[in-house]
Amino acid sequence: MKLAEELATAVGADHVEPVPELTEPPCYRVTPGSAAEVAEVIHRAGALGAAVHPIGAGGRPSRVDRDPKGERSRVFVSTSRLDQVLQLDEQSLLVHAQAGLTGLDLERILSPRGLSIGDYPPVVLTSSLGGILAVRTPGKSSARHGFFEDAVVGVSAVLADGRTVHTRVAPRRSTGPDLARALCGSEGTIGFITSAVLRIHPKPEARLVAAYLLPSLDAAVSAVLFALREEAAPAGLRIYDAAETARHFDGLALPAQHALLCAATAGPTDLAACDRDLLTSAVNAEGGSVTDNALADLWWRRLHAGEPTPAPTPNVQIMATPSKLRPVYHAVVAEATRLAAEVRIHISRFDADGAVLFISLERDGGAADDTTTAAIERAAEQAGAWLLGARAIKLDAYLRALRDHIDPNRIMNPGTLA
Amino acid sequence: MRVEPAVDVDRLQRELESIFGARRVSLRSVDLDTYARDMWPRLLIAYRDGIAPAHRPHAVVWPEHVREILAVVRVARDLGLPIIPYGGGSGVCGGAVPIYGGITIDTKRMQQVRSVRSDELVCDVEAGLNGERFERELARRGYTFGHFPSSIYCSTVGGWLATRAAGQLSTKYGKVEDRVAGLTVVTGRGEVIETDGPNRALRGPNWTQLILGSEGTLGIITSARLRVSPAPQLRVFRGFEVDDVQSGVEAIRRVLQKGLRPAVVRLYDELDTLMNSLSGEHEEHKLDTRAPTPPIETGALPAMPPAPRPKEEGFVDRLLALAKGKGLRGSAMKAALGNSELVNKLFGTVAEKIARRGCRLIIGLEGARIRTEVEAALTFAELESAGARDKGEDPGWEWLKHRYHVSYRMSPVFRDGAFVDTMEVASSWERLQDLYHSVRTAIGHHALVMAHFSHAYADGCSIYFTFAGHAPDAASASRLYDAIWRDGLEAATRVGATISHHHGVGLLKAPYMVGEHREAMAIFEAAKASLDPHNIFNPGKMGLRGRS
Repeated sequence: MKLAEELATAVGADHVEPVPELTEPPCYRVTPGSAAEVAEVIHRAGALGAAVHPIGAGGRPSRVDRDPKGERSRVFVSTSRLDQVLQLDEQSLLVHAQAGLTGLDLERILSPRGLSIGDYPPVVLTSSLGGILAVRTPGKSSARHGFFEDAVVGVSAVLADGRTVHTRVAPRRSTGPDLARALCGSEGTIGFITSAVLRIHPKPEARLVAAYLLPSLDAAVSAVLFALREEAAPAGLRIYDAAETARHFDGLALPAQHALLCAATAGPTDLAACDRDLLTSAVNAEGGSVTDNALADLWWRRLHAGEPTPAPTPNVQIMATPSKLRPVYHAVVAEATRLAAEVRIHISRFDADGAVLFISLERDGGAADDTTTAAIERAAEQAGAWLLGARAIKLDAYLRALRDHIDPNRIMNPGTLA
Repeated sequence: MRVEPAVDVDRLQRELESIFGARRVSLRSVDLDTYARDMWPRLLIAYRDGIAPAHRPHAVVWPEHVREILAVVRVARDLGLPIIPYGGGSGVCGGAVPIYGGITIDTKRMQQVRSVRSDELVCDVEAGLNGERFERELARRGYTFGHFPSSIYCSTVGGWLATRAAGQLSTKYGKVEDRVAGLTVVTGRGEVIETDGPNRALRGPNWTQLILGSEGTLGIITSARLRVSPAPQLRVFRGFEVDDVQSGVEAIRRVLQKGLRPAVVRLYDELDTLMNSLSGEHEEHKLDTRAPTPPIETGALPAMPPAPRPKEEGFVDRLLALAKGKGLRGSAMKAALGNSELVNKLFGTVAEKIARRGCRLIIGLEGARIRTEVEAALTFAELESAGARDKGEDPGWEWLKHRYHVSYRMSPVFRDGAFVDTMEVASSWERLQDLYHSVRTAIGHHALVMAHFSHAYADGCSIYFTFAGHAPDAASASRLYDAIWRDGLEAATRVGATISHHHGVGLLKAPYMVGEHREAMAIFEAAKASLDPHNIFNPGKMGLRGRS
């Protein structure tokens, strides 16, 4: 009861509710309305030995595996009321936004001013900014702007002892480690991110889309990598294999082994056209050709205008560096064939690290079972892919020591990254 | 002065020689003197006046393998000695000064380019590799790292990473920290760790970004996986003129925010422009020839021309040489350093009048042929629409030709009893004018000051102040020097800028780290406690705790 009272003092009784499924010991969900209230919650919860778990737009704590000290009360802190833009600096193209705002919310605020958060995958932007930053996964990137975390200029966060840190805003600095970016990926274990200063962009003057038919998936990958090497910076890229093309485009049958490439370029008109032409040249060099633009239009509308994408959603996502994209693709297809599973693949989210393969598996007319999925993942890994969500085990001891120092009672998202 | 720990020198020598053999360990006085400092101008003032270094290492070692570094960490821990990582020694903030003695690890024998992956556009390189050799190795294979600091001939890859260095073409290629895919580090726990894979598939905090810029306080970077770019197919350089600093800054901001990425943009303020233009009107000063010239395709290191016999010129003439010109009267310079505040004002006015055409702006683009051509056309059009006047290609190529020279102009000034240093600060565009005026005013109370704007980003820019001062003796010169930095950095902090864009912190800016990071220092301290729990690595630097 003491904890409930303390939390009510911090955020007001209206914003504290018990979690019905977790009563022994009692756990609460609180919804602070400001960074100062977050600090109060953490300070008061910490004083009573309760654990603090951040909750983003998903409404549930992200990846809380288990609390090593399971007998503790837990406080789930939602960022849903931290949904304000604190400052918009149009001269420097910087926005200081609270952590509970989703990327799409922010885009809606920026858009009437002729500004944009940038050409990141819209599905990434459905998360709260705090969530996007706190969890590192591949694919939060744009071939045009780079990795999402590169857009972070500063963060404000609350530490375990209730102190609030604001990293200083400068375009670059040489004053020790990048403490803002160290907080990125720490999943709430080092600090609770309450707001971030992000780089934003003017809305592009032009946006062009194009669709290409290529004689093979390898040729499509080669064309993309070649264009990127020629410094094209597209706003979006997606390669569909023949099976995925049929599913996504109403049974469209590509010639055997062929692949479809959809691309969007953006920026000043001349630059957008230049990037499109670089892609076209690369495609031609690989024996491909321009195909029906309506395919690319549909792809783009699905991404950005909410048109439905054919179900089911991919059940395996893996990441591969540029040189591994092709071998991984073939290894996955070969393994699926061996297992008599149907496999459809598209590749997107190209960046300096590589790209993400989205794999849909079906077997006996239904979703593939876990054994099949695991076999596919194993085959991909053997061909050089990276499964998402692994940890650098060797660094665990260092993270533990870092947390021991900054959060000796282990109240910040315990169980996560542990 | 700190008391250095009592050390059993014989045991130290024995243990180190058991790791390295006798040849790659030194306890000789001449080596200990050499490794007592880097290129921090405050130490150069003392050095010039024959003052012995306050701090020397107990030993210097030259490892060739990571396992030898691991062994040194064990020795240091057993003997209670610190370790000071040392690259090229070109740092300008005292980061390599062994303030508690200890073992200095010179990384320069670890200098392999292990691989260049053309299919991944990454390379694996050892930390001790000299910058110019690195770039030449890459060029031979058709790639570039895109990092060209003016110290490129005397700095190492590890030094760049440890300080978050910037090269002259950073506007396109990014600062060094933007080009890192992973690090291999020997930590204070005596272990080797690798940060990041070649991707972001691994969960957890960004250890790479936590270690970059830590200046040897968390461990020693032994190798890195760096992103490379194809060597440029096309280079375009031009000079422009703008009415004044403000309109020049605005023109640059418009280019960058349009999404264009020139490799280099430099805007010189009135005085810097004047100094630059004077050099153009005279034959090249002899001192310039001391700088190595970028190599032709010989594969050999560039020849260092012999030092010209110094002419019997006074300090003022040499200061003028520093500023590349001979057009000003000596009396003006003397006055400048005697009553800098007045003369900064006077100079500003005179410079504005003489350089009536305004401020000089240099811009260069390079990269893949087609995109560079398109970007160049858009960039020049944007500059002109912002009021900049095209002065043709010559000023641009002229800058490129002399771009490494500045680092070689310092010693004559020091020889003549003056000192010169640079302060590189940065802020968002919104605060940039405030930053320029407040730091210029703060330094101008004490010294002659000029500035240029370089390293531009879509969200802000760095300002590079050059200042020159003079005092009758070393003690008062040091006092003056400290006052300049104190007032300059406090002014930068007041307007919300960062105190360093790319030179680092070391000892020079350590007292200002709390002002820079405030409560966020707790995260840096936690990283220190994690990676170097026994405070072995470069203790007492960057505002972290020293040794008792």
